Amino acid sequence: MMRNMAYEALDFYDIDSMLSEEERMVRDMVRDWVEDRVIPNIEEACRDGVFPDDWRKEIGEMGILGAPLKGYGCPGLSYIAYGLICQELERGDSGVRSFASVQGSLAMYPIHDFGSEEQKEYYLPKMASGEWVGCFGLTEPDYGSNPGDMITRAEDKGDHFLLNGAKMWITNGTIADLAVVWAKLDGEIKGFIVEKGDEGFSAPEMKGKHSLKASVTSELVFQDCKIPKNRILPDVKGLRGPFSCLNNARYGISWGAVGAAQSCFNSAKEYSLSRIQFGHPIASFQLIQNKLSWMLREITKGQLLAYHMGKKKDDGTWIPEQISLAKMNNVDMALEIARMSRDIHGANGILDEYPVMRHMANLESVKTYEGTHDIHNLILGRHITGIQSFTREP
Amino acid sequence: MGVAVLIKQVPDTTSKVSVAGDRVDESSVSKWSISPYDEYALECAMRLKESGYSEVVAITCGPQRSSKALTEAAAVGADSLIHVHVEDSLDSIQVQTLLSAAIKRTGSEIVLCGKQAADTNSGSTGPGIASILDYSCVGVVSEVSVDDGVLVATRQGPSGLEEIEVSAPCLFTFDKGESELRRPNVRGIMMAKKKTVEALTPGDLGVDLGESAVIVNSHSSPPDKPPGQKFEGVSSIATVVQKLRDEANVI
Amino acid sequence: MEVIVISESNGDLLHPVTAQLVGASSSLGGNITILCPGGKGLSEAAEISGVSKVISVEGDCFQSYDSNAWSKALAPHAEGDLVLTSSSSTGRELASSIAAIRGIPVLQDATNISEGIVVSRPIYSGKVIETSSVKIPCVITLRANSYEASESSGKAEISTVNQTADVTISIRKALERAGEKIDVSEADIIISGGRGMGEPSNFSNLEEVADLLGAAVGASRAAVDTWDEIPHSMQVGQTGKTVTPSLYIAVGISGAIQHLAGMRTSKYIVAINKDPEAPIFGVADYGVVATWEEALPALKNELSALLSN
Repeated sequence: MMRNMAYEALDFYDIDSMLSEEERMVRDMVRDWVEDRVIPNIEEACRDGVFPDDWRKEIGEMGILGAPLKGYGCPGLSYIAYGLICQELERGDSGVRSFASVQGSLAMYPIHDFGSEEQKEYYLPKMASGEWVGCFGLTEPDYGSNPGDMITRAEDKGDHFLLNGAKMWITNGTIADLAVVWAKLDGEIKGFIVEKGDEGFSAPEMKGKHSLKASVTSELVFQDCKIPKNRILPDVKGLRGPFSCLNNARYGISWGAVGAAQSCFNSAKEYSLSRIQFGHPIASFQLIQNKLSWMLREITKGQLLAYHMGKKKDDGTWIPEQISLAKMNNVDMALEIARMSRDIHGANGILDEYPVMRHMANLESVKTYEGTHDIHNLILGRHITGIQSFTREP
Repeated sequence: MGVAVLIKQVPDTTSKVSVAGDRVDESSVSKWSISPYDEYALECAMRLKESGYSEVVAITCGPQRSSKALTEAAAVGADSLIHVHVEDSLDSIQVQTLLSAAIKRTGSEIVLCGKQAADTNSGSTGPGIASILDYSCVGVVSEVSVDDGVLVATRQGPSGLEEIEVSAPCLFTFDKGESELRRPNVRGIMMAKKKTVEALTPGDLGVDLGESAVIVNSHSSPPDKPPGQKFEGVSSIATVVQKLRDEANVI
Repeated sequence: MEVIVISESNGDLLHPVTAQLVGASSSLGGNITILCPGGKGLSEAAEISGVSKVISVEGDCFQSYDSNAWSKALAPHAEGDLVLTSSSSTGRELASSIAAIRGIPVLQDATNISEGIVVSRPIYSGKVIETSSVKIPCVITLRANSYEASESSGKAEISTVNQTADVTISIRKALERAGEKIDVSEADIIISGGRGMGEPSNFSNLEEVADLLGAAVGASRAAVDTWDEIPHSMQVGQTGKTVTPSLYIAVGISGAIQHLAGMRTSKYIVAINKDPEAPIFGVADYGVVATWEEALPALKNELSALLSN
């Protein structure tokens, strides 16, 4: 009955009061789950380099996968609720949030928005319940920030498609039951659903990560991979397909980063109040207070950014550049807070007794995936000047 | 036949409780929850429902804020919700009278509740209601199930752990149960939002409360512990053990 | 003021709390009658000083415990201004039921009762003390060891009444407590060992003390990391369990900040360590500078002696 001391989430500007009862209940449900199931077990999962299968089941049972999607067994929650879910999951670990982001925003979302009726009815209920895990294949070994030049190709062979190529850095890849794969068909990017067990498809796991250790990262390899004709996503072509998925995932990350930052802040606060040096808790020293105050300030701004972005998502009045800013800012903020929190913990900060070093290492990935920090700068640069600076071509 | 479960909303056991002036400062409570022993009762109620009882009605008595505890109960499957709405501080017999009237209104002959609430730590409500309704009362149980028409419970009785049987109508008070309260899910939360809470005043229940016979004079923080004491050598163990009984009162 | 004390039994004997209930009643200046449910501990009750009458309430219902039946049988003889029981589980149940039958309030777990009647009691698991005034007639349960026991030099008049009520609970069988150990996250008393215990097998010495106290055995991370025999589930601290028992006994634990983070909010902390400079003494309410080899046998003996009387 005795639980850990209450986690008092930092909420300096009382965002809580702006949430609906339903949004609060969903957040508390996920918060309690993370408290009970993730935090006590995350270090072991990281050491073993696994995403525990129990977590998949339990996340599925909570019914939070594909949070904002409607129909086909999906939850139909608000984008604010989806953000809160990401925030709470990532307070536990970025890998857990990644699992949910990939499943919901990158695998379920394209089927939901671009799939055929038959595809939606077949895949979405199983994915919403967590029974089936999905992954998303866009990035290739040689094409990261520049996905438009991907080399994975699909050929129409009359009664089937033939896929050839390789994808890399694919979250959930090895444990996935299906992959939404972006490949060029007659020179144009199209989405395909590849199922585990399809001929010519394999998903070897990438080992040796110092980051997101409790998340499965894989390659997807297609060698004359044969898939039925009804596995193409009919309603989208070009980069709009993968980019619209990424927009939703990036939005979730802007909240998730707040969760990771809150975890680091909380640990720094607790630690500085109990660590005695020179006869006093280090929290009583000005340099520490300065750091804590900076963290409070940055987290609060990040929360307001994420919250407002959520409102715009729910109202449908957003532009992708706003999401770029929210993702970039909040991950940058969280990473800086993780480093500062490590500093406050002194040497203890490098131990797995505290969550900060794990968050710090995770956030290095989060800073890079789903559009690197710098790419988001370029997106904003183009927005400001009207001049794209991604390529040398005019 | 339905199962009634009595729940109380209390500051979460992990929440800080502080005193401001001479009262517990409710505004400092970071999280309100269903009292832990009541959660075990609620879980058992859900299991009884799964074994054939028609419905679970969750009942609470308290101020406006406590209605949220009912919504939380609905999110894990409680079918109907009754909030006996009182803002004033009541004495034990007033609370028991109100809840007894609410139970009577539902016709429930199986009533489950926690053995005590995590705020007042009293344990008066369950047995008191059983006496008012003249239901059997089985205290400090960890599990209740149905076996061939009779209710079977595991209780910590005065002579130890035992399995007992009893017939309805009966009230059970829960100790830590065999099963933790199930986790809600999104579907449950969305259903809960649609369920109406039946809010009843004492008047609606035909109860004239009269005046509370108990007046709370003050809440205060416990006296500061004496500063730490350090003793040299094993001969001091006897002293420490005695202090644990006399000063600390923990053994 | 007429005070009715309902005695508490311990098997066939009188529980020592009964004399404390009389001690508390005497301080209020009441005329004290003891009711002995089922006549248990009757002659001992009559010897408690300051008691004017002892009534043995006898009936078939007292063969086994049924709080509703017992209360119905006792209530007609508990018509006093103040009814007092112990705040054990049975005491609380009987108090609540008798109060409800009489339509009067009950206050549980008092640690102080003074004229007026003013009652102090711990609430929120002892984090707050509540003081309230209650009108008589009322029922109050008293926490054990809050009052000095009244002496045993009295000679009260004994009478017997026959009163029973229908028993509705039948006992199917006594159950063995499953031999499983108490989990540290649920225990009210925890005794933990650190690397200073030398060998994992030495934890059996902690278990012996734990058994006496109904306590759980915990461990520091150093112990868990060093010895495979000590499972992570026992670990108290930053990455283990955060615990807030009423008593935490740390043996051979130096008190690294990560360990303190998991137990410093315990209500009382006892530290046993041979190093007088160990940081654990900084958070201990009672520190003993001694080796565990000396201290644990002594602790066991003292506790056995105290708990057996």
